[in-house]
Amino acid sequence: MTSADVREVLNLNQPSGPRPKKQKVAAPRQSLKGLAREVQALGGDNPIAIVPEITSFRKKRFGSRKPAARWELRPFQNSARGDNGALVLRHWRQKKDAMAPPGDDLMDGVQMETDGKLGDGENKKEVLEDSSFAKYNVKIPVPQYDDDQYNNNLQNDDWSKEETDYLMETVRDFDLRWPLIWDRYEFVPEIPDGPDGGEALSVAVMPAPKPRTMEDLKQRYYEVAAKMMAVQKPAQYMTRPEFELYETMLQFNAAKETQRKRFVANTLARTREEAREEESLLMELKRILARNQTFNEERRDLYRRLDFPPTNAEEDLNAYKSSAGLANLLQNLMNSEKSKKRKSLAAGPDGPGPTPTSVSHPGPSGVHQSSEGPGHRRESIAASTHGGHGHHRDSITSATPATPAEPTPAPGGADKKKKGGATAAERRKLTEQEEQVYGVTYGDRLGGGPTFRYEKINKLYSHKSNQQQKRITNLLTELDIPPRLAMPTAKVVEEFERLWGALTALVDLRKVNEKLDNEIMVEEVKKAERDRAKGIVPAEEEQEKAADDGQNGETGEAGAEGDPPSVVIKNEEGDQVPEQTGEVNGEKEKRPSSSGGHKRSASVLSAGSDKSNKRQKK
Amino acid sequence: MAQQQPLSSTVQPTDVYGGDEVSALVLDPGYYNTRAGFAGEDVPRQVIPSFYGHIEGRDLFGDEVIIPRAGYEVRNYMNRDSVVEDWDAATKAWEHVLVRRLQPERQTPPSKNGLNDETDGDVVMDDGAGAEMEERPLSENPLLMTEAPWNSAKAREKAIEVVMENWACPAFWLSRTPVLASFAAGKATALVVDVGGANTSVTAVHDGMMLKRSVQKSPAGGLWLSGQIRSMWETNEPKVDIVPSFMVENKKPVEAGAPADYRPKKFDFPITDSFRLFEEERVLTEFKESVVEVWRGPAKFTESQQYIANQPGRVFEMPNGSNQMWKEQRYKVSEGMWDESAAFPPPTAPGLDIPSLAKNQTIPALIKACLDGVDVDLKPNLLGNVVVTGSTSLLNGFNDRLNNELQAAYPGVRIKIHAAGLTSERRFGAWIGGSILASLGTFHQMWISRKEYEENGPGIVEKRCK
Repeated sequence: MTSADVREVLNLNQPSGPRPKKQKVAAPRQSLKGLAREVQALGGDNPIAIVPEITSFRKKRFGSRKPAARWELRPFQNSARGDNGALVLRHWRQKKDAMAPPGDDLMDGVQMETDGKLGDGENKKEVLEDSSFAKYNVKIPVPQYDDDQYNNNLQNDDWSKEETDYLMETVRDFDLRWPLIWDRYEFVPEIPDGPDGGEALSVAVMPAPKPRTMEDLKQRYYEVAAKMMAVQKPAQYMTRPEFELYETMLQFNAAKETQRKRFVANTLARTREEAREEESLLMELKRILARNQTFNEERRDLYRRLDFPPTNAEEDLNAYKSSAGLANLLQNLMNSEKSKKRKSLAAGPDGPGPTPTSVSHPGPSGVHQSSEGPGHRRESIAASTHGGHGHHRDSITSATPATPAEPTPAPGGADKKKKGGATAAERRKLTEQEEQVYGVTYGDRLGGGPTFRYEKINKLYSHKSNQQQKRITNLLTELDIPPRLAMPTAKVVEEFERLWGALTALVDLRKVNEKLDNEIMVEEVKKAERDRAKGIVPAEEEQEKAADDGQNGETGEAGAEGDPPSVVIKNEEGDQVPEQTGEVNGEKEKRPSSSGGHKRSASVLSAGSDKSNKRQKK
Repeated sequence: MAQQQPLSSTVQPTDVYGGDEVSALVLDPGYYNTRAGFAGEDVPRQVIPSFYGHIEGRDLFGDEVIIPRAGYEVRNYMNRDSVVEDWDAATKAWEHVLVRRLQPERQTPPSKNGLNDETDGDVVMDDGAGAEMEERPLSENPLLMTEAPWNSAKAREKAIEVVMENWACPAFWLSRTPVLASFAAGKATALVVDVGGANTSVTAVHDGMMLKRSVQKSPAGGLWLSGQIRSMWETNEPKVDIVPSFMVENKKPVEAGAPADYRPKKFDFPITDSFRLFEEERVLTEFKESVVEVWRGPAKFTESQQYIANQPGRVFEMPNGSNQMWKEQRYKVSEGMWDESAAFPPPTAPGLDIPSLAKNQTIPALIKACLDGVDVDLKPNLLGNVVVTGSTSLLNGFNDRLNNELQAAYPGVRIKIHAAGLTSERRFGAWIGGSILASLGTFHQMWISRKEYEENGPGIVEKRCK
């Protein structure tokens, strides 16, 4: 009967929710047999509460037990003893084949007895089990040396070889436990066998054993150990832990150690009052230090505030508070980036040739670029200014966080940015040497995904025209360099890029040279024509330029076609003349600006030369 | 139900403590007692006096044989330095305790038990197995023995010789008592203060090895304390006679301080002095156990007479029935251990030969000398691990006094005294340490095996047991 039933009877409101179910008593169902089960089954789902009677009292319980485990006195040896199992001890272990069928206990017992007597010989033959404790036997390595090594490296005025040997042996015996080594150190130098062998004499001669302090012993041992370490493995090949050990052993300072021990002894010898006073002083010191630390903390905080980048934030902020102002800012930044790009292009030492993308700027210019950029954590990978798209993105990302005049300079955000700046500054602290050590390079902005280095070279190729490619390949074959590098390591690629630059420069120069030759030829042809005409009109230096203009008209009949190309040629020439001189001085500086002209001139030149050819034919 | 028992017999004991029993024996001979038992147990099975009876050229061992007899002398195979003096007797004593008392009784071989004796008197063939058993009684038990820290190399070699030659032990080890006492306290590094029967020794143990230069010993032990009690009784106002129990036929209760009323036992033979002294010592031991106390400090004993005089006294009844209340005297007798100037002059009775303590033989002086003999870096660690052992350290207030003395001598150093609470652990500290050591699995590689002994001779003990 549940509470719900009561409620129903009393006509009370039913509580919401389902009726609580009768909890079933999870009684384990005994597996009964025979009549008992039939009786149980009469009850159906509600089992009849009959406590099963335990009929078997003791006998059964023992009967259900497993057979007794068999144990044997098993001999074993301990390999850590190092005596090839000379000592065989015996301990009790459970028998391995203990799962004998039950029932023949008696037989087993008999058998065991006989085993005990007869099986001894058999056991001896088979390999005895090793003690499971043998593995704990750990020996410390003590430096070894032979006579030669000793004479070459370990000579010491204060220590004879015998005593050093004795020290090493003692160290090995006591596993480097120095208090014990010092405690048991009793070196008695051997009496030297004099030719007389007089006992009284030898006793008189015998040097008294030197009392050695623990520091003496340590000093000598560390000296020997360090030297032998260095002999076996020169210091530069040691691994880090080895080298640290080596250093520590080399730096052992007996005098310092003695002094330290004296201090310790003094500390132990303090009187109670002194001890108390020192304790209070230590407390005081701790307090002072703690105060000092908080003071420093505050001061650092103050400095951080003072160190905020100089901004005229108030005015700027107002300017950028509107969206128009923001757009303006973006525009400004992009402009400044562009100008920067141009500058770097101009500054780039090797950007010759007509192609806008050429050899990448290695290290220096990239570094310069990044250091120029405002304090920004992405500086280290800040791209150099090649590749318009990449650069553009980068410039924006690098510009935005750097603006101290950002519209929402929340103090926390500013702080964070400062930290970023600080870490960047820390990162910038890497010296050149360190950069080399850690393999830090400031290269191109990396594209997504892995690339092969030789692909970089392929890219260089693909940017060139077919003709140029052919020329460069020819040059490379001349130099015996395969166009595709066999081992494109970073260094090799770098070198190759330099070579590539030189080659392109060479090719360009050759081209220019060729062109100039052509032009000279053309001019000479013209001159020859003019000389022919000179028979009528005397040539004059000053008049030549004017004559150039006049030539159009004058040579109207001469120039049968009266073609504009000839005019172009003239113009070209005008351009060309000053340029030629410029090129003599520093062709590199001038080349970029003139490159466009070259191209045009080349095509025109060919047309001109065609024309001259025609004329010659005529 | 059987499976739910904590540890069924079928389950191998787990090796949590690194034990691996090889049925080793541990023998710990001391000045008063010789302790012997099986490694791995927590108390020695057999404790017999190191004193033995000597009568008509025979030596008798065991407590129960020391009874009044004509011409019966009581001797000790150890000397006052806790070093074996009489090797023949020592061998017999050890054989008695190790073989007779620790090994199970063996059946007399059928040829000798008298049941098979034939009347025609044929010569009985010697039974090989039985003889072998007689000769090799300990052939399955490695033996670990203890020794005093100052034991001489010669005595150590003699010990291994005796053990190896007589009972066919497969392996042997000799260990110093302070080391074992510190093991018993569960420490590898300790300053062991062992206040034993004939000696008090203070030894520094570092990493399971004794520091030789730190070993300090003095006679300020139980025997010396007995001498103090004798002196006190001699100088007491009604002089106290020591009448051992065996001399009392019967007694009547008397008032405190009244002369005893007892009938002495009559012996028709003279009682030897040695026997009498041994029996007197029993009385003194009882007095020490029940009455003597150590002044705890920290105030000086001489400056606290007033306070001490007001402390409740204790009554001690002598075997002959005389009894007396002992008040400040019970502190005074033990004060000499700490302050030589407070000691009684040594007793003058013949045959006692008890020295008076010098200034550097008191316990604080011993500890100081011991610590001066070790590296300064070890001192704080040692003072943090002071192990007190030996039965005489069971005197009431001993640990408090020691703590106070150490704190006065070494302020600013943390001092921690480890003294076992159980009487048996304090009495048998070295034996228990030996029991632990010999049952360790990692110790198997240390034993000096019979083969090593045969190859190297007794000198190996000096090489191995450092």
